[in-house]
Amino acid sequence: MGMLDQLLYGFSIALTPENLLYVFIGVLAGTIIGILPGLGPMSAIALMIPIAYGMDPTSAIIMLAGVYYGAIFGGSTSSILLNAPGVAGTVATSFDGYPMALKGQAGKALAIAAVSSFVGGTIGVVGLMAIAPSLASFAVSFGPTEYFALMVLGLTAVVSLGGRNLTKGLISAVVGVIVALVGIDSQTAITRFTFDRPELYEGVEFLIVALGVFALAEVLVMLNRRGKGGVRKAVTSLRLSRGELARITPPTLRSSVLGFFTGVLPGAGATVASFLAYSMEKKIARDGKSFGQGNLKGVAAPEAANNAAAVGSFVPLMTLGVPGSGTTAILLGALMVLGVQPGPTMLTDNPGMFWGVVASMYLGTVVLLVLNLPLIPVFAKVLNTPRTMLLPLVVVFCVVGVYGLSFSVFDLGLLAAFGAIGFLMRRNDFPAAPLILGLILGGLMETNMRRALQISGGEWSVFVTEPISAGLLVLAVLSLLPSLVRVVRRRPAAGTPAEVSAPVDGSEERTPTPRG
Amino acid sequence: MSRLTKTHVSPGAPGSGTFRRTLGLRAVAVTAALPLMLTACGGTDDGVAEDGSWAPTQAIEITAPAATGGGWDTLARTSARLLEEEGLVDHSPQVVNKPGAGGAIGWGYIANNAGDPHKLFVTSPPILLVPMAGDSDHDHNDFTPIARLATDYMVYLVAADSDIETFAGLAEQVESGDLSVGGGSGPGSMDHVALAGALQAAGADATQANYIPFDGGGEALTSLLGGHVDAAVVGVGEALGMLESGDLRAVGVSSAERVDAVAEVPTLVEQDVDFTFDIWRGVMGPADLTEEQVAYHETLFADLMETEAWKEESARLGWTDAYQGSEEFGVFLDDTRGEFAEILTEVGLQ
Repeated sequence: MGMLDQLLYGFSIALTPENLLYVFIGVLAGTIIGILPGLGPMSAIALMIPIAYGMDPTSAIIMLAGVYYGAIFGGSTSSILLNAPGVAGTVATSFDGYPMALKGQAGKALAIAAVSSFVGGTIGVVGLMAIAPSLASFAVSFGPTEYFALMVLGLTAVVSLGGRNLTKGLISAVVGVIVALVGIDSQTAITRFTFDRPELYEGVEFLIVALGVFALAEVLVMLNRRGKGGVRKAVTSLRLSRGELARITPPTLRSSVLGFFTGVLPGAGATVASFLAYSMEKKIARDGKSFGQGNLKGVAAPEAANNAAAVGSFVPLMTLGVPGSGTTAILLGALMVLGVQPGPTMLTDNPGMFWGVVASMYLGTVVLLVLNLPLIPVFAKVLNTPRTMLLPLVVVFCVVGVYGLSFSVFDLGLLAAFGAIGFLMRRNDFPAAPLILGLILGGLMETNMRRALQISGGEWSVFVTEPISAGLLVLAVLSLLPSLVRVVRRRPAAGTPAEVSAPVDGSEERTPTPRG
Repeated sequence: MSRLTKTHVSPGAPGSGTFRRTLGLRAVAVTAALPLMLTACGGTDDGVAEDGSWAPTQAIEITAPAATGGGWDTLARTSARLLEEEGLVDHSPQVVNKPGAGGAIGWGYIANNAGDPHKLFVTSPPILLVPMAGDSDHDHNDFTPIARLATDYMVYLVAADSDIETFAGLAEQVESGDLSVGGGSGPGSMDHVALAGALQAAGADATQANYIPFDGGGEALTSLLGGHVDAAVVGVGEALGMLESGDLRAVGVSSAERVDAVAEVPTLVEQDVDFTFDIWRGVMGPADLTEEQVAYHETLFADLMETEAWKEESARLGWTDAYQGSEEFGVFLDDTRGEFAEILTEVGLQ
């Protein structure tokens, strides 16, 4: 039981009063920063780096890891309560979390988020402990070809995120992909869609778009209604019934495993994981149609996945020295400044740190749960804040979040523009989720496709001759089949009396999808 | 995020970082208040003493034209901290992060503060390469060189079980076109130039190289580990872990003499490939500084590099000291730019 000994050794490091305090500080700071819309784990860690500079490296990484998953968890709170995801990884949580809050089930949604985050985090830590060293080879097995296929699979989620009208969903996704193209092309160093603005050279920051089309658009919609409608109901208790727990258990477990493995891939990460989990569960669930309208599973799946993925992303960081996401890249920078070189030799050179971190992550997920369950009713009270106070506050947080990212006034203009776009989309029934999905996955898909083709010398067949890539593409086709079949079947029947009387939204029947 | 800027952060020897430092909360306060503290300089006291020499009248602000956690940030924060700890300055220097456009946003900020002797920024090869790619409104001529401080090098890697043994062997296969080489930055930026220049020096046709740009050296290394590309060119610091573990093998390093951290790796020069490539790091200021102001900063950084603390830090970060004063650094920048232009023209990127 070498591993158990090592884990105990790890706990002996993590359980010193000093390090325990750092876990607590990290998780608390992360949660608070994460709750603020617009501030995610990246900003949270960046804010904490100066503090970490003066610390013992092991304590520092224990604290920073706490900040990381604390912020991911905190992000879900603002996604659910305000529809303002502060973290890319919690965008998917808002799809069902915010509708739940609108139905007066904010407490329940937060509780589900807390519990499934805990499960996801725990499964992630167990995975990290048990198979991290052997996972390194899994992580490197994904090259550009495989990442392209993975992103294609991820993009098929558009079909499930697209809402009632597939065409509008696809249009929205394409807009997202176009936004992803803005900036200096990393393959040719040529600027695309930058209109000679240096501010656009590095592309449009994801967070600006997310806050614009979700949070600001929501504020505009509420203003347009003159404050009527929306959340008025009292916040119900956070208690989950046994039946509800039973309903979210299988999706939580599945999503945790999926999330962990997605997180292990250096090119994927928590955001991709949460979208994959959400669309997988929507397809599996018998009540998949109610996803997007406040389905419990729609909160549990992405929350379990993003937390498991956050832990999973420590695998490439600590076993290869390669950051799996922007956040772990910052973490890597911080570690190097602290004199630690994560990499293949870390487990042998610095076992105290490796196992200390693993043990502290376990403690961290527990602290997270203990800290947050009692706080949920407090958080949920946010919704009782009078509109006249809440709406300006949301705007302030969005502005601060975006400005704090780059200190650029230009970005604030972008935020306003995306707020307006989001509002117009809402008014005309275009779903915002596919836009976000296209933005996140589109850029990765394009870059990896071109890299793969450049390596293969322009040979397209690599995508089907590489086994992993072929497998993922087959999965992508399979996941599209049911929708395609439905569209093809419906087409000849369209307009028949039986079809019109079907209990579907009327507007959709008037505008049949022009293409399959 | 940055696609052009490589953030080379070099590590020290693993396990060497167990000593503790007592910086405390001052740095926190400084960073937290960054955006608010960009107070305008000026006033009546211009810092000129009776003998004509100049000294700062307020805190020096060091800009890292990148986000926290990268190579430029490390340099800015390390120097700011040591300047203060070693008592070389009266006011604690402040570090400001101006990320964006591969550095161009930060350079724009400095350019807008021409003549302000309290605003410095940290720099490295992208100050030459980014403007050459046409992606910045300013180039190195728009700023005043203060000092070159330290340098790091590029290393050329293959998989441990590759049959390539020397750089010449690599060059030969790259020229044949069926070998892909990953790097951590876009075409025409550091890693690509380091590859193309070395190939050219080895007598190979650099235009035949199948250079695959990744987002950061780490990604290029994982792709090499997984066998998706056949070779990679990255900073020594980035490759250290995988070289030590034996997962990857280096066929050359771009320094003039062997680097301590990877002493078993032969230089290109040793292999009769007449090419060196430095990832130098230095400090520059805005345009229109007086001679006295430049002299003050020059001496300040020279003094800093004399301290034990700097030597300790730079050893830990894997940097080699490479001090050059203002004038020398300026000439070096011009020369290097010419060299880069030649390489880029050769591979058809300019």
